[in-house]
Amino acid sequence: MKTLNKINVAKSALPRKVVSRPAKIAIRQLPTGVRGLDEIMGGGLPEFSFNIIAGAPGCGKTTLAHQIMFANATPRKPALFFTVLGEPALKMLRHQQQYSFFDPTQLNRSIRFINLSSALLKNGLRGVVEEITREVEASSPAIVVVDSYRNVTRKTIAEENELDLQAFVQRLVLLLTSWQATTFMVGEYAEAEMRDNPVFTVADGIFWLSQNVERNSVVRKLQIIKSRGQGSVPGLHTIRITADGLQAYSRTLGLLQEKVRPAKRRRLSSGIPELDKMLGGGILEGDSLLVAGPSGTGKSALATQFLAEGLRHGEAGVAAIFEERPEGYTARAGTLGMDLRTPQKNKMLEMLYLRPLDLSVDETMQEILDAVKRLKAKRLVIDSLVGFEMALAPGFREDFQESLYRMIAALTGAGVTIFTTVETADTFNEMSFSHYTISFLTDDILRLRYVEIEGQLRKVITVVKMRGGNHSKDIREYIIGDKGVAIIGPRQEQYARLTTGLPDRIGQIKELAPEPKAK
Amino acid sequence: MNRQGATPAMRLFAECLMAYETKAGPVLAGNKPPAVLVCDKLRLPLATLMGNAGYRALLARALTLAKAETPWPSEVVIKPDGSLGGWETLEAQDDPQEMAEAGVVLIAQLLDLLTSFIGEDLMLRQVYEVWPTVQLPQGDSIAQRKK
Repeated sequence: MKTLNKINVAKSALPRKVVSRPAKIAIRQLPTGVRGLDEIMGGGLPEFSFNIIAGAPGCGKTTLAHQIMFANATPRKPALFFTVLGEPALKMLRHQQQYSFFDPTQLNRSIRFINLSSALLKNGLRGVVEEITREVEASSPAIVVVDSYRNVTRKTIAEENELDLQAFVQRLVLLLTSWQATTFMVGEYAEAEMRDNPVFTVADGIFWLSQNVERNSVVRKLQIIKSRGQGSVPGLHTIRITADGLQAYSRTLGLLQEKVRPAKRRRLSSGIPELDKMLGGGILEGDSLLVAGPSGTGKSALATQFLAEGLRHGEAGVAAIFEERPEGYTARAGTLGMDLRTPQKNKMLEMLYLRPLDLSVDETMQEILDAVKRLKAKRLVIDSLVGFEMALAPGFREDFQESLYRMIAALTGAGVTIFTTVETADTFNEMSFSHYTISFLTDDILRLRYVEIEGQLRKVITVVKMRGGNHSKDIREYIIGDKGVAIIGPRQEQYARLTTGLPDRIGQIKELAPEPKAK
Repeated sequence: MNRQGATPAMRLFAECLMAYETKAGPVLAGNKPPAVLVCDKLRLPLATLMGNAGYRALLARALTLAKAETPWPSEVVIKPDGSLGGWETLEAQDDPQEMAEAGVVLIAQLLDLLTSFIGEDLMLRQVYEVWPTVQLPQGDSIAQRKK
């Protein structure tokens, strides 16, 4: 009690208001060299941190460590890569030099590879620490990688005791932190090992890589389990290994950016004057419009007309197509009198053909965002959502709705106007907008459908929803002619229940069929 | 890869390295044959890179390939640390020219092996760590790539 009283007295003697506080230490952040990872990390790698890169074989652990190393090493502040009883160094160099980030001129100048196998086999953990200490003190590295740290500990667990391992980890952390190195311990771990292995306790950052097989497709994921001193984006992020190394796609990709939607928005022409009238003057710039309809109702033709109209007004466009190859899409536009070939040559239009069958929405979004930025595109066509879903790895299809929400938010946030098509199966007793519950994601919805009139399967169009203003409520007939979609009829007043596809004639005036009946 | 003999370019490169070591003089060389000197010097950076065991395995493969190409005295062995042993007894008994040729073939095979694993660029970077000022034969493809 005496002590407590003393503390209370001391506390009350303190000034109530602190006038100025010393500045907090600013933790410098290092680039990861991995596209998308800095954003996930909350800006980059905390300098002087001690990190674990863990995961099963084949997840890209070594490649990640190499990218970090090549992005940061300089002759003055080099990187040391210690290999231990793992992949032979010659094979590692053989494989890693295939990546574009691997710069051979950095080898031995700013990056050194050092094998610790002999030290470990001869003198155990002591030998490893001594060897690392010698090398670190000799070169004052900015980055230190031990690959595979797991092999060091595996041998220790077999031959030495747990206290030795803890002491080793402690010595290593003290050494590397004191020498101002940002460190990465690479190892193949199972999640359960995190509880028992002391290295996970002392680590400032834990990068967990995984590889999931779903049906026939493989999806790699990254999770930042721990990141002391800074906030990182939680959750699982998709990663892909390409010729450029790892690429990471934050699960919040695009959502964090500021919306660039202007206060007063233009109305963009769809390329079909009558449709523009139905839309209250056109599509509001920055809107997401969904066109739903069954096969053959002209969804792609409408999308192409939307793009072509933009191009006519000098607005660059991007088309992400999933069901047809760009050549076919371009040729079909040509048959409707729209030249998409020249704008592609002039870098005003980019056709993205995304169909590798194990895509993630994030990757698709990144590809589209990149193209939109490259071209400063104003109009984007996604044709179609069904094809898009088919192009995704099975694991991503489960989250398609949530992913679409993020994607549309990210893309409209970038200021682009989106024209998305979706195929619906027409039934003749209802009118659904799509089998996805996504209508809440879009600002505007156009519905196309077949109706049976006078012994013909005709097509009607209606504007179901427009968030940005009033729109026509008419159901109007249209045809697909040699110039694309053309709305030909005024509001249908002769029929009721057009939305079912099997309308009842209520009017008296017999009308002429818009297209000749087959004899 | 079904390997034949050492490539001509690598033989020339091996000769250059051995000539460089010969010029260093008998005192520095400690009467070791030039090929042994070259192997000893290469051992340091390569064992750092791949460990003693890794370097020893690579040299053993090179020696096997060299033996298939030119006669090699059976006295020469690779020690556990990757250094060459048994050469002390050679010069008295063997033809120096034959031994020089055997040395060239061994070094060339070793460099060829390295090249086949990590490519010529990285192989050269390892070699220049040891001999940064070595003069390479003019017109040779390897020499032209020195940076």
